[in-house]
Amino acid sequence: MAAKKLRRARLSQELCERLSRHQITTCQDFLCLSLLDLMKVTGQSYGNVQKLLCKVSLACAPKMQTAYEMKVRRAVNPSSAFLSTSLHGLDKVLHGGVPCGSLTEITSPPGCGKTQFCIMMSVLATLPISMGGLNGAVIYIDTESAFSAERLVEIAGNRFPAYFDSDEKLFSMTCSVYLYRELTCGSVLKRIKSLEEEIISKKVKLIIIDSVASVVRKEFDTKLQGNLTERSNFLARGASLLKYLAEEFSIPVILTNQITTRLSNGPAIQADLVSPADDLSLSEVLDSSLQSHPLVRLPKNRLESSRILLEICLAGASGGRKRESGCVTAALGNTWSHSVNTRLILQYHDLPTRQIRVAKSPVAPFSTFFYTIEKSGFVLQETDSE
Amino acid sequence: MQRDVGSLPLAPALRARLVAAGFQTAQEVLETGPCGLSKEIGISKEEALEALQVVRQECHSDATRTAGAPGTSRKCTALELLEQEQAQGFIITFCSALDNVLGGGVQLTKITEICGAPGVGKTQLCMQLAVDVQIPECFGGLAGEAVFIDTEGSFMVDRVVDIAAACVQHCQLIAEAHQEEDHLKALETFSLESILSHIYYFRCRDYTELLAEVYLLPDFLSEHSKVRLVVIDGIAFPFRHDFEDLSLRTRLLNGLAQQLIIIANDHKAAVVLTNQMTTRIGQSQSTLVPALGESWGHAATVRLIFHWDNNQRLATLYKSPSQKESTIPYHITPHGFRDVQPPAVTQNPEGTEMNPRKRLRREEEK
Repeated sequence: MAAKKLRRARLSQELCERLSRHQITTCQDFLCLSLLDLMKVTGQSYGNVQKLLCKVSLACAPKMQTAYEMKVRRAVNPSSAFLSTSLHGLDKVLHGGVPCGSLTEITSPPGCGKTQFCIMMSVLATLPISMGGLNGAVIYIDTESAFSAERLVEIAGNRFPAYFDSDEKLFSMTCSVYLYRELTCGSVLKRIKSLEEEIISKKVKLIIIDSVASVVRKEFDTKLQGNLTERSNFLARGASLLKYLAEEFSIPVILTNQITTRLSNGPAIQADLVSPADDLSLSEVLDSSLQSHPLVRLPKNRLESSRILLEICLAGASGGRKRESGCVTAALGNTWSHSVNTRLILQYHDLPTRQIRVAKSPVAPFSTFFYTIEKSGFVLQETDSE
Repeated sequence: MQRDVGSLPLAPALRARLVAAGFQTAQEVLETGPCGLSKEIGISKEEALEALQVVRQECHSDATRTAGAPGTSRKCTALELLEQEQAQGFIITFCSALDNVLGGGVQLTKITEICGAPGVGKTQLCMQLAVDVQIPECFGGLAGEAVFIDTEGSFMVDRVVDIAAACVQHCQLIAEAHQEEDHLKALETFSLESILSHIYYFRCRDYTELLAEVYLLPDFLSEHSKVRLVVIDGIAFPFRHDFEDLSLRTRLLNGLAQQLIIIANDHKAAVVLTNQMTTRIGQSQSTLVPALGESWGHAATVRLIFHWDNNQRLATLYKSPSQKESTIPYHITPHGFRDVQPPAVTQNPEGTEMNPRKRLRREEEK
């Protein structure tokens, strides 16, 4: 809308030519000028310039709708407002599941099950609407090469054995999951920009990016000068593009993030915590038998994960409000936390149980559920919920 | 009438010609008449007539301003302002602690800014206010309508439905306790559908759409004269990326603030903005500060900062011309924005959650 050419805003031809001589061709350029500048550039009187401003504003302003119309629209299409996660307790708290039209983030230490969750959601999105799915294709942008098609088939076969009873049903499901491997920030952004046409042509109903943090943290080292702003710019641009796609097509977008430890002295670090739920070190975490348990899915870098787990232990052990040794939060900073609408945090509990927490949501309070990862994907422990 | 020609709101080329032809004051221009003007400057008679009309209108409004006519003048005594301020309403937030801190609630004709970390409840409060502004007058509300401009996409209709239902239920309880005629009559029109139909929602995706919408807002408010609240949820989001030229950003934000102040004053509406927090990296530590820079801090009249203290949400009144700085805890329940301890006995005829000032006047009337 901003890049709309002034010609299409119904300004007269000669006025457009005159403005283009001053390099003002789009609505954005026009609206960024002050009134005096506009008078100089268009050569019109004050009253006329105000009328022109109104005309151009009408061309780019968004349409008005009342909240009632929005509610009616959602009531007409209730299934299209959420993608059920098939985890009953979580769905109830989230008023239906992962919301369509907004960004949802899954954060966790390595090995907790982010990629498993994403694969499970891919299966769910391809199911027909009668079974709680969206009956559409899935676009899966993989930056860590962690996607496993065998696991996809395994989850589908074990979770919905009645539906996927024949091989061809399984294969048609796998045909609707489109996998893209992108390894740099630039290519991820380019891919997101090209998604608009793909969504229409392939009837996509779910976008998954696994994971945003790995590719961003590889390329931007925040200790270097200027990298912090560049990183924020990249993230903000990506977030606004994804939000636009999510809202325009009313589809859910799932992103995964990593955790980071902030080691520093002094209580100043308190400022970086965006909410108590985000501070993963507040909950109890460690079990020393962690590394030796067979169900722990060993990440590629086992050393890295055990280092992080050790630090979580230290942070938790120092206890209480004063965090001298550091704290554990979601990566990618404050600005990113503002951009996502819903945040789910996965964490270790007494193995093999882990917990999933709703940390930020416009409709749900903070809640915690316990789950295990089985052959059929995530399974909630009903006894320990909340 | 002695106004200099160079300051008239005419087209620059026309102004230049007038000055070149030797005209110095508006009086001279008016005396010449359209035919004389067109001959002297070399423009057509129609253009000369148009220019004369503009000049005449300018001089007329100048004259009335100096003569002190009540219609166009903006000056009044402090006593008149005091009476106006006492008579005007507040938008209650349903959290009595916050209302007390603000001096009754969110004030009309002022800009209130709410800053906070993500997930702390800014959008929740905005949705609550959009419902509360519609409460009928007999229950202590303003019976107004709301404009909601969303830049982040965090407006959830289902949540507004929950909040509105709780509000209607609350009013029904009060009506049952009091059993007054006007209460019951007001309740007939105060329903879920009417609340939702009077929230006007705009989704702006970038700063150009936001600027365009704010330019068009005065016309919209003149058409919908019952609007008493304009919420811009996320004024920071469109301005925080894609801006290499920070001075342009400052200029646009200042212009936006000016227009919002004019809108707030002319239409007697409250303007509520939400801002994000950003980390400022200092010498040895980093702190969370409101985004958009120092100069933006001057734009809002009242500033609230929402933050956490170990699982408790707190609201701090950070900047206000008339109230003391203080911090109170609040709660977000399935019914919306509330106090931490629910007030005792809602059947109390005092009406504990209503605006205390309104309550005083009603007792005086009785």
